[in-house]
Amino acid sequence: MSNAANIPGAARDVDERSWTYWTTPSTVVVDGLETAFRRSGTGETVVYLHGEGATRAWLPLHQELASGVDLIVPEHPGFGDTERPSDFNRVDDWVLHYESFFRTLGLSRIHLVGHSFGGYLAAQLAVYFPDRFQSVTLINPMGLRLHGEPLRDRFRWTPEEEDSHWFNGRRDLLLEQLTREGSPEQDVQAYAELTSIALLLWNPRYDTKLDYRLARLTAPLLSIGVDDDRVVGNQMATRFAELASNGHFTRITGGHEAPSSHQVVLEQPEDVAAAVIQHVIANS
Amino acid sequence: MTDIEFLGLVDNAYINVPYAGDRKSNYIDLPNRIYDPVEGQRVMDDALDVVVSLEKYGFDGGGISEQHNGPIGLWGNPFVPATWIASRTERMKILVNGPIMNNYQTPIRLAEEIAAVDTLSRGRLIVGLPMGHGMQHHSTGMNPATARARHAEAHDLLVSALNNDGPFEWNGDFFHVPYVNLWPRPTGPISFMLPGGGSIETQQLAARRRYAYQCVLSPLEVMAKNMQRFRDFCREEGYEPAPEQSAAVITLHVAETDAIAKREVQDIEEWGYQNFFLSPTHDNFPPGYVSLASMRGMKGGYRSKPMNEMTYPELLENRWIVAGSPQTVADGLNEVIEKLGLGRVIIPLTTGLKPKWMVDKVLTLFSEEVLPQFRPAGKPLVSAEDRVGFDTRLEYSVKRRKGHPVPAIVRNGNLLDVNKARLDGVDAVLGPWPGTTQEY
Repeated sequence: MSNAANIPGAARDVDERSWTYWTTPSTVVVDGLETAFRRSGTGETVVYLHGEGATRAWLPLHQELASGVDLIVPEHPGFGDTERPSDFNRVDDWVLHYESFFRTLGLSRIHLVGHSFGGYLAAQLAVYFPDRFQSVTLINPMGLRLHGEPLRDRFRWTPEEEDSHWFNGRRDLLLEQLTREGSPEQDVQAYAELTSIALLLWNPRYDTKLDYRLARLTAPLLSIGVDDDRVVGNQMATRFAELASNGHFTRITGGHEAPSSHQVVLEQPEDVAAAVIQHVIANS
Repeated sequence: MTDIEFLGLVDNAYINVPYAGDRKSNYIDLPNRIYDPVEGQRVMDDALDVVVSLEKYGFDGGGISEQHNGPIGLWGNPFVPATWIASRTERMKILVNGPIMNNYQTPIRLAEEIAAVDTLSRGRLIVGLPMGHGMQHHSTGMNPATARARHAEAHDLLVSALNNDGPFEWNGDFFHVPYVNLWPRPTGPISFMLPGGGSIETQQLAARRRYAYQCVLSPLEVMAKNMQRFRDFCREEGYEPAPEQSAAVITLHVAETDAIAKREVQDIEEWGYQNFFLSPTHDNFPPGYVSLASMRGMKGGYRSKPMNEMTYPELLENRWIVAGSPQTVADGLNEVIEKLGLGRVIIPLTTGLKPKWMVDKVLTLFSEEVLPQFRPAGKPLVSAEDRVGFDTRLEYSVKRRKGHPVPAIVRNGNLLDVNKARLDGVDAVLGPWPGTTQEY
């Protein structure tokens, strides 16, 4: 394995990390790459693939899920405390990494869950290795080409626009979950992680192969959408469910307070965990 | 005193646009319904007229740049105007600053354009190889996350294609070309330049490749350090850099007096900085466009003030603009040249908000009252005699390569020289065929 091209958090002293949801990760060497992950709980094995910005923390959603399953939350190559090897530049690099990660940990009967960019990776894993998973749950996934949806250019948002798109204007209510070490290092970390996303989804910002490959899925797929997704739009989650064989869609609503957002995983962790665990148990 | 090479860089900004401060930026998505083709023609015409006029003003070269998707400039492919300029000038160098290589599917396509314009211009090309600024990655689909690695390999393939005999195979990470075999070929070595924003990596690269390094838009003291570091890198590479390898962009405005200069140019320059240099961070620095170390430096306050907030006094203080009477400009220019150790000065000459008559006035004053202080002999550094190629059929006939293959056909079992076959009493037979092979 060649030298890492992108070393965001890994080189820094973890002893200085003291934000609310920081926990020290475990590490395992996968095909030569030291991979950070967190694990807790007992029961069915659930691997949760995080979205952008949700690294280096054991968040309320994780705690909720771990109360019902054996939850494993790895950090993707190029994210959190897992370096991105310089040869990684195609989605199959991430897919093969995770297949090796599962073998290295000796995981079988895996229930796969992914949010946002992690949902994109989960969908790719499921089409490459359709027999590997007991069930698949995608929460506000990204990566399909949708016609008729306005462009939401994730790569051009100002901080104000990020608040509007990612958090539907409610970022301030989530600061405890979002806080890391602060600027400039938190900005550098975010830039590094966004660079890894750009490698896969800059041009094009979708994978047209998924349109026909999702029919390869054999495991039941649950695609979870929300009321008002301003990152990927409201058609994306339903389209994943339509394209997958054995797929179905459900929406987590925001109730009477406000329409649910792309960051439903931060805003409504109990609701998300309940939907995921229900799908896992139904397919165990 | 070193002979300084003066190059004019003429933009063709389209100025009838809304104030950028009311938008995120005017770079990427300003609706093109406000574009008027008639105004566009005026902008292009004026720009080309100014570039061509530089020869008569005694400049050593004139050039244009590549821009996309907005009003900052209307040349998507700078080789189009470069060809036009080549046909209307005789002596001066033509600076194409420059093609954005990652916009090309293959650098072979760029090598063909360089070779063609080099031939048409008689070896007068200088080619800048910028990465393209961040906004252009949003405009054109170039992936910023792979941009630097792809650019580096594209450069190596470009230079190999231009300089090496083909066919040869290129086995790269980004490009696999089974038969690199450039037709046409350039007249000789191409002069390249690397524009840099101060990154050490670009300075090292320019030094290693023996290219000119061009600095721009940093505080004067920072630019001085950058130029010195670049020359140190050249020496580490084992050579003393040629004067023209040290280049900087300095905007000039010459008027009859300091007061007139300020009155003429202050608003124009502040308009440019407020409208064309305004871009949010994600536009300027799309993911992967700069290294994490550079991003850390920027987030830590490396650039103290956004460029769109620069005031006229600050622009003067940093010497991004040298403006005033002829003597004020000559003194200011001399100070920058001395401080930075320059051998090449690139002077932006806007034909945007600055009306063409004003550009002509600036050029007249610069040519007649400033330039003589740097050129006591009254001559540019280059002359028409320096051109490669030929002026006349006579010269062509004398210079052309001898012993090249003749065009041939096969008739009645013989290989015939086509140029002789139609002539009575001339033996056109090269030999029996098969069996006769032409040497090449």
